[in-house]
Amino acid sequence: MITQDKIEDFIERIPPAPEALRKTLSHLKAQDLTKAAVSAKADMALNAYLKNIVNKPIFGFRNEVSDISQIFGILGVARSQQAVHNYMMSLLSPSKWELFKLNKSSFYNLQAELTANWQKILKHLHIENKDIESAISLLPASIIVSEALFSEKIEDVKLLRSVNDIDLNTILKRLCETDLFDIAERIGKKWEMEPITIEIVQASSGVKPSVDAELNLLGKWMHMLLFFTLSKSVYIDAGLNDFIDFQTDYVMEIYSDFMQVMEIQ
Amino acid sequence: MRAVVKNGVGVFHPQGFLDGNDSAAFLSIEDIEATVHNNAEMILVSLKKVVFFNRNGLDAFVKMFKKVRANNKATVGFCDYDSKKYQTILKFYKDELNFSLFQTQEIATLFASSYKNTNKTVLLYSEDKSQRAAMAIELHDNGHNPIVAQTYEEFSEKAKNESAYDEIVTDTYLGQMGQNVATRVTGNAIIYTLNAFLDTEIGSTFNIAYHNNSLNVGFRLFIFDCYKVVSMNVHALNFFSKLASSAAEYNATICFVGMTFEKTPRSFKETLEDSGIMFYPQMDDILKNKELLEELGASSAAVVQNKRALNKATVAELPNFIDATVATIEMMTNAKALKKDVQLQTISIDNTPGMIGSSIGYYGDLDGMIVLVFPLAIAKKACELLIGDSTDDIELILDTLAELVNIVGGKVKTLLGDHNISVNITLPRTYPNVDSLMEIIETKKGVQVDLLFNEEKFLFFLTR
Repeated sequence: MITQDKIEDFIERIPPAPEALRKTLSHLKAQDLTKAAVSAKADMALNAYLKNIVNKPIFGFRNEVSDISQIFGILGVARSQQAVHNYMMSLLSPSKWELFKLNKSSFYNLQAELTANWQKILKHLHIENKDIESAISLLPASIIVSEALFSEKIEDVKLLRSVNDIDLNTILKRLCETDLFDIAERIGKKWEMEPITIEIVQASSGVKPSVDAELNLLGKWMHMLLFFTLSKSVYIDAGLNDFIDFQTDYVMEIYSDFMQVMEIQ
Repeated sequence: MRAVVKNGVGVFHPQGFLDGNDSAAFLSIEDIEATVHNNAEMILVSLKKVVFFNRNGLDAFVKMFKKVRANNKATVGFCDYDSKKYQTILKFYKDELNFSLFQTQEIATLFASSYKNTNKTVLLYSEDKSQRAAMAIELHDNGHNPIVAQTYEEFSEKAKNESAYDEIVTDTYLGQMGQNVATRVTGNAIIYTLNAFLDTEIGSTFNIAYHNNSLNVGFRLFIFDCYKVVSMNVHALNFFSKLASSAAEYNATICFVGMTFEKTPRSFKETLEDSGIMFYPQMDDILKNKELLEELGASSAAVVQNKRALNKATVAELPNFIDATVATIEMMTNAKALKKDVQLQTISIDNTPGMIGSSIGYYGDLDGMIVLVFPLAIAKKACELLIGDSTDDIELILDTLAELVNIVGGKVKTLLGDHNISVNITLPRTYPNVDSLMEIIETKKGVQVDLLFNEEKFLFFLTR
């Protein structure tokens, strides 16, 4: 159904980060927001993306923010880097979704919801680290990879899942000995994301805990956040609720805190 | 979201948070329709991967339960929860709990009559006395040995000796149970379970198409479990007499087990015996008597009297059948198939050791049977995707092979549906060796296609 060759072909086709983006990220790394804004202005698509995403209601700005310097200024270094990483991920998303009922707008909304709630979680945990903040941007890679690999096999997947409660991550692992999060890791490496970002996302799969206790804890929060988000009607409708297995035992340790942070009663 | 159906039990697996109106998105109108029509005798919603729910969140599923019950009387309910979730559900629905609650999926299957393994020793406890009694009766009827604890103290004490029981049932509640004619397969015999009063209704609750196709795919022993039957009227008598006549055409045997004639005229028994139906007091009188089983035809199928030729409509759709099979095996093994030979003939297999087989029947606008014969190595490889690991457990491989043939059947159904040909599929059968398969189809003519997967020969046979 899916072969190692197909995975390699998919990875091969991922373009390197564009020059303007690399410069923007490099300036953000050096904490120079002014230079970062100048570099970002060279990429019109990035400009449009940032305007779209920061003006979503979940970010809660009263007035429309349209200038790139203004956006970076409001967001600060960490969240600007996170926004740029989100943009990079959106470059990978298909123009037409087949496996999941998503479109450009709902995918951006998913990114925005994950991002805003990840901020809430990090604030609750008193963590201020731009690479950890950015980790959430790599999480939707697992969804994009599923779409790319399984979209031509929708009917096969449906039949397989009609006789066995098996998720896409497990199917891929059993067929090719690699899973969605391993491929997300390779994307992260190709785009020179920080190792810490990649390790948290691997832990967030729920099946590969990190040996680093702190990163593992963050993986639990991210796993819970993913399923909190995928339990919303728009994403259930999109077919995302069961694309990977929710590991309830893995997240029970943080359950009460999570309910409190997300104000669920 | 669709239910995963296995051994007549359909299970939904929602994940995460079942919160308010969002959870309604789990079930589209098509999903509910598909559930109503999938003929499962039990429909469950697993809460294993749900960390949070509220009343509104569960209501979407409870509404579906009502529809399913109204249409096909299947047993419906939630399963896979802990004590806290169980108490919460009881609190939410205290006066309107008309669905069931099973602590685990394994416990639920004890109450499903299609459950293959009977004779389990089950310790059970419920605070509610009538629930304790209802569970004990259901478990006993399904061939298990229930041990009822009358108090919580007694239950706790007995439960300490965990290894003494196959299952420990607590935090379980039986709502309205199924009333359809449930079906289970034991070896090569099919067991139907009848309930209460047998009258003209039997014509609509008994799935005659399924029965006919079971005859066609080679089942020769049909046992009616009548322990729960109170009485029978003349309409039901006529129904069973006709059923016995049609079975006789296939040299099949119909037996009634546990039927009492306290409230049914004695003359009915004579009429049924005249039409060929046999009566036994206990199920074990048949199932534990190997010689009798053989004599009745459960282990060796008699030669089918009415051999039917492949018709033009079936031959025209042959490429679809082959494509469905090849695509499924390719999907499961990640290997390419090579078509070697196509011939119209009686089946011809090199009787080398290590070959296993499976078959599935289909009926509707077209009818017939697909037979697949695998070298064990290919079967193992094909099952790895579903099992997860490589295994040498032949029982597990045969069970998984049945799932695989179900996928083939499902794919055939879809492909034919694309050509406006509507078919349903029977339960799959598996054969641990070539001899057991040949007993069923040795004399049948059909289309045989030899395929090569990874240099290993694999055989597809389509017959009627």
